[in-house]
Amino acid sequence: MSAAEKMSRRDEMETLLPFYLNGSLEGSDLEAVEEWLASDPSALAALGEAEAEFSGTTAANEAIRPPADALSRFARALDAEAGPARAPAGSSWLAQAWGRFMAVPVGVAWAAAAVLLALVMVQSFVEPGGKGNDFEIAGAQDDLAKMPFALVKFKPDARMSDISAFLDSNGLKIIGGPTADGVFRLGIPAATAADYTKQIGLIAAQPFTETVIEGRKPVDGG
Amino acid sequence: MTAATETDRALVDRVAKGDRAAVRLLFMRHHARVYRFVARQTGSEMMADDIANEVFLELWRQAPGFEGRSEVSTWLLGIARFKALSLLRKKKEDWIDDEAAAAVPDGADTPEVVTMKGDKAAALRRFVDALPEEHRVVIDLAYYHGQSVSEIGEVLDIPVATVKTRMFYARKKLGEALKAAGYDRGWP
Repeated sequence: MSAAEKMSRRDEMETLLPFYLNGSLEGSDLEAVEEWLASDPSALAALGEAEAEFSGTTAANEAIRPPADALSRFARALDAEAGPARAPAGSSWLAQAWGRFMAVPVGVAWAAAAVLLALVMVQSFVEPGGKGNDFEIAGAQDDLAKMPFALVKFKPDARMSDISAFLDSNGLKIIGGPTADGVFRLGIPAATAADYTKQIGLIAAQPFTETVIEGRKPVDGG
Repeated sequence: MTAATETDRALVDRVAKGDRAAVRLLFMRHHARVYRFVARQTGSEMMADDIANEVFLELWRQAPGFEGRSEVSTWLLGIARFKALSLLRKKKEDWIDDEAAAAVPDGADTPEVVTMKGDKAAALRRFVDALPEEHRVVIDLAYYHGQSVSEIGEVLDIPVATVKTRMFYARKKLGEALKAAGYDRGWP
């Protein structure tokens, strides 16, 4: 291989590295990068440089803080566009509570989350006149219903942007809630019980977390 | 397809049926990234605030027509990009307030000066910020938004080959800036 060809291949690999790092590379491009990383002594250093760019770009973006009241202002704009919200026929009291929660400013909604969590859990799992289902706000799909989860309540002064950034960076998803008392169900992307416990610890350690209660864990005997 | 993706799509289906809780949940999931994407494009947090809100109102309006051919996040970024460019063309620089203008990379610092202001990581961050917009947006979309080559092409409405070309030159410029600042990484 000539020097020019080597340079051309290096250019191509350097171009693909960001996509290798973000996990979107596939097929022959992925194979080419993996082969290069395995065979070229300079490739790992190049990967390290790309990782530094990854970190720098992430830091530059996350330095931009969205306004804390964005959701409440959006809710007002949505109501102005779509008209007053109405409760769907036959909706559960929890769905109605969700509607009430979303109708007030975010800060007020957080502040309203003051009832004992134990009571919330009883209410959530034993719905009056219902079938004992827990709340289902975000998703009704089978895979979500089977997903490991935890019940989490955030502090009244928690910033939505902080919570959102934390969820994003850890692959956590809000899959239910909040109840009228501010409890969310978070989907935990854990394959093992050990992973699950680690994630619970991470959530509990966040400054904006008020309470975290373990829910369904992965079944691995661990 | 991941569970998270299915969930976003399921939420869009709900939005299409008039479910406001679903659109608010999508807002909570994606607003911060959309906001940052627009803020980086326009240099104005005021514009980012307005446009990000508009993006989710557009989601409310367009959900019945969403065919699921792209990820919801890609779709939202595409709407954001279009709205940002439209507003920039309309308002030009006079939208940028003093505070936002201070946050816009001025490009005045030489690599050496930048290096003196901090370590390599800080220098790199400044170099990313100082890239021409057409290069920086590709870097942002790949590194921060996790978009693939084809998804970036969709968001920016450019061919895949152009995405790769821009990525090549963006990374080349970063390498050259680092080299000028005394950090030779061996490429280009």
